[in-house]
Amino acid sequence: MPHIRLENITMRFGDITAVSDIDLEIRDGEYVTILGPSGCGKTTLIKIVAGILRPTDGKIFVDGKDVTKVPLEDRDTGYVFQNIALFPHMTIRGNAEYGPKVHSVEEGQAESTADEYLRLVDMLDKAGHFPKELSGGDQQKAALARALASGSRMLMLDEPLSALDARVRMELRYEIRRIVKRLGITVLHVTHDQEEAMSVSDRIILMRKGRIFETGTPLDMYRSPKSIFAAYFIGETNLMECTVESKRKGGGVILRLRNDVPVNVSKSKANVGEIAILSVRPEHVYTATDGLKAHVRDVVFMGTYWRVRTEAESQDYVDYNIPADSQVPEIGEEVYLVFNKKASRVFKRPKEGLTEAIKLE
Amino acid sequence: MTEIRLEGLKKRFGSDMAADGIDLKVESGEYLCILGPTGAGKTTLMRMICGLTEPDEGRVFFGDLDITHLDTAERGATMLSQTYALFPNMRVKENVLFGSWIKGWPEEESQQLARNILSMMHMESRSKAYPDELSGGQQQRIALARALASGSRVLLLDEPLRALDARLRLELRKDLKGMVKAMGLTAIHVTHDQDEALEMADRIAVLRAGRIIQVGTPKEVFEDPKTPFVANFVGRSNMIQCRVVSSTDGKVLLESEGGLRMEAKDGGHSPGAEVLMAVKVGNTKISTTLPGYFEGRVEKILYEGATITVEVMVKGLGLVYSKLPNRKFDDFREGNTVSVSWSPNKAKVFDIPEGGIEYEIRVD
Amino acid sequence: MSLIDRVDDASSKRGVKRAWLILVVLIFLVLIILPSVYVLFEAVSQWDLISGVASDSGKMAVIWGAVGNSFSIAFIVTIIDVIVGIPMAWLMVRKNFPGKRYVDTLIDMPLAFPTAALGFSVAIFWGVPQGLDVPGLGIVLSPYVLVILLHLIFTYPYMVRTLSGILEQLDPNFETAGMTLGASRFTAVRTITLPLFRAGLVTGFILCFARSLSETGGTYIALSLIGKQSTFFTGPTFISELKHQAGSQAAMPELILISVLLIVFALLMLFVAKMMMDKVKIPWSKVWPKFERRISRGLAVKMRNGLSSLFLALFIIIPSFFIFSFLLIDGPLPDMAGLFKAMGISFLVAGAATAFDIVFGIPMALYIARNKDKSLGKALDMLVNVPLIIPTTALGLSLFLFWSSASLPGLVLVILGHISFTYPLVVRNVIGAVEEVDPSYEEIAKTLGAKPFQAFRKVLLPVIQSSVLAGSILAFTRSLGETGATIAIDPTINTVPIYIVNLINKFTEFNNPDYAYQAAVASITLTAVCFVLMLAVKYATRRKLGGLRHD
Repeated sequence: MPHIRLENITMRFGDITAVSDIDLEIRDGEYVTILGPSGCGKTTLIKIVAGILRPTDGKIFVDGKDVTKVPLEDRDTGYVFQNIALFPHMTIRGNAEYGPKVHSVEEGQAESTADEYLRLVDMLDKAGHFPKELSGGDQQKAALARALASGSRMLMLDEPLSALDARVRMELRYEIRRIVKRLGITVLHVTHDQEEAMSVSDRIILMRKGRIFETGTPLDMYRSPKSIFAAYFIGETNLMECTVESKRKGGGVILRLRNDVPVNVSKSKANVGEIAILSVRPEHVYTATDGLKAHVRDVVFMGTYWRVRTEAESQDYVDYNIPADSQVPEIGEEVYLVFNKKASRVFKRPKEGLTEAIKLE
Repeated sequence: MTEIRLEGLKKRFGSDMAADGIDLKVESGEYLCILGPTGAGKTTLMRMICGLTEPDEGRVFFGDLDITHLDTAERGATMLSQTYALFPNMRVKENVLFGSWIKGWPEEESQQLARNILSMMHMESRSKAYPDELSGGQQQRIALARALASGSRVLLLDEPLRALDARLRLELRKDLKGMVKAMGLTAIHVTHDQDEALEMADRIAVLRAGRIIQVGTPKEVFEDPKTPFVANFVGRSNMIQCRVVSSTDGKVLLESEGGLRMEAKDGGHSPGAEVLMAVKVGNTKISTTLPGYFEGRVEKILYEGATITVEVMVKGLGLVYSKLPNRKFDDFREGNTVSVSWSPNKAKVFDIPEGGIEYEIRVD
Repeated sequence: MSLIDRVDDASSKRGVKRAWLILVVLIFLVLIILPSVYVLFEAVSQWDLISGVASDSGKMAVIWGAVGNSFSIAFIVTIIDVIVGIPMAWLMVRKNFPGKRYVDTLIDMPLAFPTAALGFSVAIFWGVPQGLDVPGLGIVLSPYVLVILLHLIFTYPYMVRTLSGILEQLDPNFETAGMTLGASRFTAVRTITLPLFRAGLVTGFILCFARSLSETGGTYIALSLIGKQSTFFTGPTFISELKHQAGSQAAMPELILISVLLIVFALLMLFVAKMMMDKVKIPWSKVWPKFERRISRGLAVKMRNGLSSLFLALFIIIPSFFIFSFLLIDGPLPDMAGLFKAMGISFLVAGAATAFDIVFGIPMALYIARNKDKSLGKALDMLVNVPLIIPTTALGLSLFLFWSSASLPGLVLVILGHISFTYPLVVRNVIGAVEEVDPSYEEIAKTLGAKPFQAFRKVLLPVIQSSVLAGSILAFTRSLGETGATIAIDPTINTVPIYIVNLINKFTEFNNPDYAYQAAVASITLTAVCFVLMLAVKYATRRKLGGLRHD
């Protein structure tokens, strides 16, 4: 039986529909991330699962029981807020003790439970401090301990890292995953940061405009996105307009880019004669002695590699990577590009046009 | 085009030294990024440059002019802040024209300039809208337009992309720098995000606790860090505490506390010295077949999209990380035994930092 | 260069900024603070006369009685306000329900009534007016209780507004976080929200207490209508009665003594309240989960909301409007020419005071709001409260004594007096507005080339202008309704409240209900004017209710 199940969840605020027709199942102990741009409805969804908002339509089941109408304080769900929300007038220990205390646990036991979780997040030595005396990362660790100490088997993380520095985010997200996996807790994590989603999730749910767009493991979503939006939003990719010239029975597709430039790929979702969009990630673009002619427009050092930005003769902008210690091409230099046949994806051209299909706001 | 020079800037707030003797030169027309964690003093520095905060000591020069005590309005340095601060009671067009209006410039020229800038940003259609009707990315562009249309010669960007979604940030990075360069301004862009700094900066200045630790091109700062902090902050590094055994030919032989031996680039330390070795995770190689400095067990493989990070547990050392291209994902499994190695001239050796290793590499 | 350009340029010179600040602070100290507390010095210099009064046990009994009544009534009223104010404030901020906007307006209603009118309303609704035939409940005979019921009306909005203001600024996520951890709504509010709320409670307490302490006209009228004006006194009504009976010079030692007592105890209360803000803890470490859960839900919640609404209707709204029942009776109109003349004088006084408040109050508010960490900023923040705390009657007397050697015309003195207690209203309002504005706006404007005064004019002022307007109208109506200060300074200046009080005095003297009727009509006229002004405020500050942001 799935730990959490959402059935046909819809949420309306006046005339605005924030989420519609959401069906979702989360297994016991699974780490699921809801990923999407601002306004896609992900925060509304997590608040519904936690019980902070009551859905306009639909049902929520936990361990098979219908909890849709159960009030917030009786839902056994830990919640970590984006802007931390540690009680400013209590110490860290006081914050962590709060959950056990309001569950009518004995005085002494509340403190020892709190300390146990504080030790787990490595905050025990700071237990006597007040929230405002701590750094952002430490505060968020304390908030995590507080949520876990109340004993729930489910944890909701509402953009928990968005307010933190990039580096702190990187280190903290692994910490969080390590801890919840050790405790065997089911996690629903909401974020707009695809890098974050990829590094910690068992499964990613991509949302857009109130609906679930696609779901899959990080690996699947990156390697085999089913839509252009997913291909664009998760990781980086070069998108080029083309037409499908021919398809061979055993595999192998020939495409024509603008200016009639031919490209070979393994497979295509679009049919012969249709206008399509070719998606190739920068790491799957290579230089060769022959191929798509392009001129180097910019070269940017990215640490472990150089990002080369080119303008191809098909009027597309194509980015590719070269290792950090390679010879860097000159601006204006002519290069020939080839694409990894298997890793390239071809999508049907979207009805609303490419710009609309990948719009983030 | 204006060159900016900072000499010995100091500023104290209570017991906190927000700026502790800052010397910096920004070339005319340069796009310089100041990179540092929250609390490093980045905002204080910006405020001293544009005149919103008075330094306790030190001087600020624009070209040859000492502007340290000059009024903000006279300096010609404008700021683009995290919150954009678009004047809520004015429309987009009025916001953009504010700088020229205030200074009483001729109407016709100002209007033309505003039109040009708005069309450069594809925002002409929204010129009559109010700020609260715009999305985050649009507000950011209008804030930039306002700064560019003001006739300022210096632009200070205070974490301008922070309030935006991650994916949007990636999109706007390119546009932002392009537009600033097109207008020929000298720009200082402050951020905590190393990827942003690497991508956008002509040069990076690393700031921590009110001090500039290192200045250089992105490549210099990344590949040749001057302190362990920089080594770990700009691109993650594996840090191993060692003792120098011997040195030959520009290489040093090191031994860790657990008795493991490895090589690094000679940093001029004598045998017996206690040192801290740092090697970037991107330069740390692992293999199931080839030999290396030592062996470890694959604990976890983290899929990050274009790259993967492999966590290797090494007995006597702890966790060592290796960042590899994603095509290597299928080469390793949890539980594999792998050898860990790196090219010696990619590993740098530092003195043990005064405040202790843990404090030095803290990113918080 | 035009005048404005010159001012803009001057504003960037440091010397000019400093000089302007010194001027504003000096004017504040010399015209407002010093005169307000001058009576304390006068008491010292006239000590022999004062001690003469102090040794007269009969007189002292009356004086202590009056002071005691004022403070105990203020205390009781404020406590009741806290108890009924918290649930109402919480309801207004956290819940959305049909008709919320109307309830919002109703809560502010009492502020639209000059207290003179409220005095009428309460006397005829709750009490037994002498010789008047009006349809009321007539169940309250004790003057003490009647005054409490009166003071509840005009202090209630202050409490609810202050509490709402603080509650709005409190991130609701704190409470939600508590509930996700398993706390019931009641527990979460008690252990998380209230402790964070403490500053608001204390501010609300101070405002209500001070307002009740000050009130003269309404109390005087209510007591007169039930015939107790010579037997029951509050501090301010005692002063008024003395001035009416004895003529100012003869009773000066008594007036000084009681003013001193009122001022000293009021300032003491201010200090104690500020100290309580930091020291006293609302208990939040103990929880009783089961019990608190039960009272968070269902019937308990409905009962609480029902009672809050019932209180609002029965004790605040209905009594307020009751004065209009006078229109059902047939009676002679007051001398309309005299009334309009009085109206003119009231407007002149209120207008002059408000104009001064704007010109010299805004710079003070700006300085305080932007310099709360500096010692001068903190000191001024405290001092601005002083004229608010001191009962206006005592303040008026003090001011009168301060200027007595300079032969200023009575009208000018009255204007100065009205400036004193309206100034803090404008300053507080503007401070609140400025604090909510991101300082980045002005800073960015400066980096774009705006000089300080330009940045103020073009960027800050447009954003705070509705608060400036609201504060001004608040000050204006407060001045229109003020009785005590005018009586204490110069009762010959015929503002409308004085006009009304004169009619009431004739009513008690000649026992002729016609005078009461005329006074009532004059009060209603004044009320109508205030209503119009209050509606203008509501329109100007259109509060956005329930704008939902969601992702």
